[in-house]
Amino acid sequence: MTSSPEVYTVGDVRELVNTVRNGRNGDLIAPAGSAGQGLLRREDLLATLDHAVAGRVTIISAPPGSGKTSLLRTWVERSRDDRRVAFVSVPRDERDAQQFWLAVLDAIRRATGTSPPAIQTSPPAFDADAMVDRIASELAEEPKLLVLIIDDLHELSAPDAAAQLERLLAHLPSSACVVLSTRRDPRIRLHQLRLAGELTEIRAAELRFSERETRALVEASGVRLSDREAAALHQRTEGWAAGLRLAALSLRGHADPERFVAEFSGSDTTVGEYLIAEMLERQPDDVQSLLLRTSIVDRVNGELGNLLAGHLGSERILLELEDANAFVVSLDAQRTWFRYHQLLSDFLRLELRRTAADEVPDLHRRAAAWFLQRGHLVEAVQHTQAAGDWSEAARMLADHIFTLAMEGHAARIETLLASFPQGVSAEQPELALAFAVTELLQGRLDEAAAQLRLAESHIENTAPERRYRLTVAIAALRLEHARRSVNLSDLLEQIGVLAAPVTGESTEQIELGGELRGVALMNLGITELWSGRLAEAERHLLEGATLAERIGQPYVEVTCRAHLGFPSKLCSFATARERCREAIALAEQHGWEALPVIAPALATLAGTTIWMGEFAEGERWLRRAWKAAEGDFEPASAVLLHVATGMLHSAGQQNQLALAEFEAADQMQSILMGEHVLAPQVSGWLAATHARLGTPDKAHASLTGLPAERARMGEIDNARAVICLVEGDPTAALEALRGVLEATAPVMHSFTLVEADLLAGQAYLELGDRRAAGAAVEAALASAEPDRLILPFAMTGSLRLLEVLPRHQTAHGALLFEIVDLLRGGSATNPDTERSRESAGLSPSELRVLRYLPTNLTRSEIAQELYLSVNTVNTHLRNIYSKLGARDRSAAVQRARRLRLLSAAPFSRLQNDRATAVGARAIVVPPKTITTFRRCSVT
Amino acid sequence: MHAGPDLYSIRIDGRLGITALSAFPAMVHHVDGRETVLTGLLKDRSALFGVLAEVEALGLELIEIRRIRPERRSGGRGDDRSADLWWG
Repeated sequence: MTSSPEVYTVGDVRELVNTVRNGRNGDLIAPAGSAGQGLLRREDLLATLDHAVAGRVTIISAPPGSGKTSLLRTWVERSRDDRRVAFVSVPRDERDAQQFWLAVLDAIRRATGTSPPAIQTSPPAFDADAMVDRIASELAEEPKLLVLIIDDLHELSAPDAAAQLERLLAHLPSSACVVLSTRRDPRIRLHQLRLAGELTEIRAAELRFSERETRALVEASGVRLSDREAAALHQRTEGWAAGLRLAALSLRGHADPERFVAEFSGSDTTVGEYLIAEMLERQPDDVQSLLLRTSIVDRVNGELGNLLAGHLGSERILLELEDANAFVVSLDAQRTWFRYHQLLSDFLRLELRRTAADEVPDLHRRAAAWFLQRGHLVEAVQHTQAAGDWSEAARMLADHIFTLAMEGHAARIETLLASFPQGVSAEQPELALAFAVTELLQGRLDEAAAQLRLAESHIENTAPERRYRLTVAIAALRLEHARRSVNLSDLLEQIGVLAAPVTGESTEQIELGGELRGVALMNLGITELWSGRLAEAERHLLEGATLAERIGQPYVEVTCRAHLGFPSKLCSFATARERCREAIALAEQHGWEALPVIAPALATLAGTTIWMGEFAEGERWLRRAWKAAEGDFEPASAVLLHVATGMLHSAGQQNQLALAEFEAADQMQSILMGEHVLAPQVSGWLAATHARLGTPDKAHASLTGLPAERARMGEIDNARAVICLVEGDPTAALEALRGVLEATAPVMHSFTLVEADLLAGQAYLELGDRRAAGAAVEAALASAEPDRLILPFAMTGSLRLLEVLPRHQTAHGALLFEIVDLLRGGSATNPDTERSRESAGLSPSELRVLRYLPTNLTRSEIAQELYLSVNTVNTHLRNIYSKLGARDRSAAVQRARRLRLLSAAPFSRLQNDRATAVGARAIVVPPKTITTFRRCSVT
Repeated sequence: MHAGPDLYSIRIDGRLGITALSAFPAMVHHVDGRETVLTGLLKDRSALFGVLAEVEALGLELIEIRRIRPERRSGGRGDDRSADLWWG
């Protein structure tokens, strides 16, 4: 921030107004000195606070002007090293619980010095309980005492806020305490705290100035009064802090203080009004004009002040007022933004309306324009409404509805909509757009569709220059709607409108184009992903992410990236994992790591980890994914989550649990309009699990009535094979597998091939053909090797099959050992001697590292892949080299190959995703169907 | 439960000046000694609480709220005007 008063960049002001608006002033309450002048240090009260913070909760409850905030600020200023203070000031009429809690979180972070206090952007879905829990846990991490002060608690009128606050108080760690300052007793149950002696109350009676304190205040203000006069002052004001301060303001430099006191005492007029009027009267004209005209806004800076008052010099006036302790308070360290004491601003507003009513609408308009220019949309609409310009306000709201929604101001949008007078929607069809957005955000798809139809019907009536914008906005909302129901055909309909890059002349059109394009690409990409159009999905999601990053739509960016990590033919396993991690890291930056937006990435990462046999790790990711998905889910993502969970259960042979998951996945995908990309897998595994549970009839039943395209897939063939094996007909199983084994049946990914090979092996074993069984296992190992597809071995329960294979016949010894080890429950400590001899004495962990040696991964990349530290990898490598008698990596690889621990076919992971033929199989994917995940297939 | 507008009188400590009075456009005032009485027809409970919020916001001291029932038409029981008192 520059110190020059009139020059702000949009970014600066935006950040500051955000901070200011949400009352986040945790790092600086009042600059040293400004709170000091004229404010009495009330030592006894300060001491009370010192003691109070030893308990859990302190509440300061007293009418306006009692001196609550002043007391708190003075107390905070006496900062001590043994405690940290987070200060949150609730803005007027705060109905948005999310904004409030974000402000609390931000204030705490500033106080504890954790993570840079970046602008907290808030996505639409809000889980209050999770937020409160997160706050409680961050509080618990701070070793020093942390005092959370919430000032003006009475302004928090968000529904459920009381319950949420109660939750926080209940979960408060012992190293934290909360101070609530409010005008009236809050609606939270303090009874138990009172009983437990953990509540300190400071009420109006305690805050009242005593006669002695009155004398002290008067003296500190540089006013000379006799004791009798001071007593009269005390009596008239009844010790009311605001009254005394106001009186002191007027008395300072007054020509005849005695007369002032006499008149004041003799007057019947209510204290506040009398003294405020007195104070105002004594101000020069330009100050009066400024105070009156800026009373319409909640916060003011020099520039805005000048604009409203119609003359220059506002910043100077504001600073002087603050220095004089005239109920004007700065909100930031640089003292650029100010706020008036609520009592003062209320009187000023009334006075303005009374004396210059005709000016008021215009003042609102000026303020609205100023806010709009600085991207402060909510204020802009509010002031436009206050000016009574309903159609203008409706247009403004409709124009910026996307930005507002994307920045998570769902509650504010509703409040703004509610402020329009009844029946205005009929005259302002553009409002239908705003309504549609709120309906969508609440998940009320039908209502949203209705609003969209309404908006559409009015396109003809709209002015020509606004038609483009309206059409684009409607199309974008339809996209959002289509995505949530994965309605690909509907989606494609809307694409035409948005596909063309915006080349309009006005910057407005381009701006609009940018924002909407980001959202459109996101929705398009996601729908394409779940519909199986993976190439298009990747392209659009990438484009969406890049655009969103450029224009500053973090939510859109994270959402796009969270869906980019889906492994496919174009996106190798390793790349997919990388992308998932990237998305998760980005979400963490914004504090969204436990929110639904990142659930797809978490679920995908869980899935890929489980595929690779890292079951413990996979389970951890799954837990996180489930946690994140709570509260808001899209059916399409839920399918992924259920499938991944089912996979984990299957691996552990917990087939009952697995069945529940696959059934849930099946149910989810039936909600969707289009065919989910994972549908064949879901159907296949569902049937297979039925069979494994000993109910092949249910398995058969589940496979009837499948859409023709799905029924042709190899995954279904595998399921049939499982049923046959369970029914004791291995020949039929082999027959069922023929399509997959001969590559005539399309498959989703090569996972299915591995599975098919293993099932074939089991069938051959049943038929007594050990040689064929062995060959099948070898083929499975070959297919599984490049990406370490260990899961199929677990899912098909192939341990016995693997034990059948003579060791010396495999070219994938290391992998085999690893899988057997895993299936046996991982007994890393006592390798039996036979195995030891054949594995050249390498332990399972060393074997795992060995398998990465032929790749071009660096040591740290290997460490990352295996979730190990680089040191551990180095240790393993040393052991490997020594046990193999090798000097370096390539020598180790050669030796390992000769010992048949590694296969002869070279492969590398991070090379271009050009496939190498692995095993004997080529996979042919018919053009129309779903592309494969795996890049190890042949192109 | 009586629905619809009711007549209320609200007694405030101190005399309300012209500015403070402008905050209660729905009510008329008269001075009673050192107190001000605001009287007006408030259309429902929300309106009442709105007025009370204004009283709180201006730092005024509330002494009494009184709901004055509208006159009964016929077959009244004795007193035409019964008043419920709330002591503030």
